[in-house]
Amino acid sequence: MVEQSDVEQAEGTGVHVRIRGKELALAISEEHAAALKSLTERIVREPFTKRPWSELAFFLVSGGLAGIGIAFIGLTMVTGVALAVTFFGLSLLGLSLRSARGMGGWQRGLARSMLGQPVEDPEPFVGRRGFLGWLQSALRDRVGWRAVAYFAVQVPWTILGVFVAVSLWWDAFACLTGPIFDRGGGGLAVWGLVRGIFPGSPFWFQPGGFFHAVGVFILGAIFFFAAPWVTRGFVTVDRLLIRGLLGPDPMAARVRTLEQARTQTVDASAATLRRIERDLHDGTQAQLVALAMRLGMAKEKLEDTDHVDLDRVRELVDAAHRGAKEAITELRDIARGIHPPALDIGLEGALATLAARSAVPTEVSFDLRARPTPAIEAIAYFCVAELLANVAQHAQASRASVSCAQQGTWLRLVVRDDGRGGAELSRVGSSASGLAGLTDRVHAVDGRLHVVSPPGGPTVVTVDLPLSP
Amino acid sequence: MVGALRVAIAEDSAILRDGLVQLLVDRGFTITGAVGDPEALRSSVAQNPPDVAVIDIRMPPTFTDEGLRLALDLRDRHEGLGILLFSQYIETRYAAELLADDAAGIGYLLKDRVADVSDFVEALERVAIGGTALDPEVVTQLLGATRRTDTLSVLTPREREVLALMAEGRSNAAIASALVVSEGAVEKHVANIFAKLNLPVSENDHRRVLAVLRFLES
Repeated sequence: MVEQSDVEQAEGTGVHVRIRGKELALAISEEHAAALKSLTERIVREPFTKRPWSELAFFLVSGGLAGIGIAFIGLTMVTGVALAVTFFGLSLLGLSLRSARGMGGWQRGLARSMLGQPVEDPEPFVGRRGFLGWLQSALRDRVGWRAVAYFAVQVPWTILGVFVAVSLWWDAFACLTGPIFDRGGGGLAVWGLVRGIFPGSPFWFQPGGFFHAVGVFILGAIFFFAAPWVTRGFVTVDRLLIRGLLGPDPMAARVRTLEQARTQTVDASAATLRRIERDLHDGTQAQLVALAMRLGMAKEKLEDTDHVDLDRVRELVDAAHRGAKEAITELRDIARGIHPPALDIGLEGALATLAARSAVPTEVSFDLRARPTPAIEAIAYFCVAELLANVAQHAQASRASVSCAQQGTWLRLVVRDDGRGGAELSRVGSSASGLAGLTDRVHAVDGRLHVVSPPGGPTVVTVDLPLSP
Repeated sequence: MVGALRVAIAEDSAILRDGLVQLLVDRGFTITGAVGDPEALRSSVAQNPPDVAVIDIRMPPTFTDEGLRLALDLRDRHEGLGILLFSQYIETRYAAELLADDAAGIGYLLKDRVADVSDFVEALERVAIGGTALDPEVVTQLLGATRRTDTLSVLTPREREVLALMAEGRSNAAIASALVVSEGAVEKHVANIFAKLNLPVSENDHRRVLAVLRFLES
């Protein structure tokens, strides 16, 4: 038994406690004392704030609505399942699921307006053509089934919750006002829980006694301050249920993310193809046409056997020769942009080549146990190539480092430079081929890209790529 | 060869533009302007009208069909100006748009054709004097896409060759030299083709092209 006595709050740091005659000085740090104080204040204030009352109101309204809802859903669901072998049963089941979905909407609306909890709407129902199509879509509607699951849990929970919360509030009210209105003779309107707590009270606790009145008042106070928290406990569970079962389907959200990633990948590859086509069209193809043209002219000049202008022919062949060499160089650059040949010898060698080619002195550390898939290798390679190009162009750095290491099931690339910093995701790469393009590529394989670049540097870009897809 | 034909060039690739200028000057043409975008050609043609304009289809700003739009526009504004569209790809749709009302003074060639300098220069001259020059590739595509295969099958292989060359815009003399036969033989083939396909006979080469193209497209 702990009795608190002589609470001397000397600068709020110590409490003397007497336990079974022994005096103990409990030292409480100021931090804890402050926390204790604010907690006490919070408990005392809570019943006088708006929140517990709107939570109680939410509970009552949503409980009432759910009561009506479950009566309908339950009836149609049970009948539908019972008659599931018949067409009528299936139709009833479809109707039930559609209603559950609709009523889920009410619940979300209530949570939004009364609890201020934003719950995203799930993906809308899309029925296929015709009644059979509609029925098929309705029976397969995950949102509908999840709403049924919600109501199956929420209704009993709300009934229990409403009973407990209302009892508490009512008892609090009854106990606090009891001593005032109690005219003696057992007229105390104690209801619910209190009856259970005091079945056979000792004599001085009998209605009408002084202790009885004081005890009831204290009990009322405890109920009064506890009621908001108990209500909140019940409401919180309901909130979690709403978020988990009435919000967007996590599976559907995942599908959507994947779809987005796929679109980005498709866009990125379309853009890459366009760029390659443009490079070929403007560069190599034009070079080759000009080359063929010069050789054609030279050929014609040589055919005129009477007076061959050898100087002119030499000039033309010279120009054609130059053009051929330029075309070869251009083709090589374009091919390297499609698939870096350096990757054929492995990522480590490829990164070392990149570092050696970089204008800023760059160190590479490499620690991977197994070779990643070609796709991951290529993304890692292009990330490092782009990031090192950025370092050379924008960072004004004197040194850079690249590290490539395994972290669990992730490949972690860190590119660091000692430059002036201030790089931002949107600004580092100015075009789609810059950092934005990298981010798309990295997201496409569910990876992450993270930039830390305070003004004055250093800049650290971290890229995480999954090793096992 | 017609002496000192005046040529304007719009081609955004500097390498090709320079090459073309060199080639044409070498062949005795006068270059009135060699520019890299549609607007520059518009003003060049207005200031110093050429006999024929060589126009690249893909040019700035969007690199799609600027050249084609420019060609259609120039043809409306400058009567008698020959236009040779010059492209790395053949789009039959472009050919159809270009030849919508008239084939006079219109050419559409793959850029590769400059490698055969004489053929290219001949095509350019033909366009400059109001003739037609369609790339063999365009004609092949039209022949491949036509729904008149039944009717075409009544032609002999030789007649089909003549038809293709006619569609390119060549004169009887040019067809004769290409097939290494006499001009009289070509005339006979042409007469047969027109009779078999039931086409109106026309003296004018470019009207003849149009008739053949209409037949293939319908």
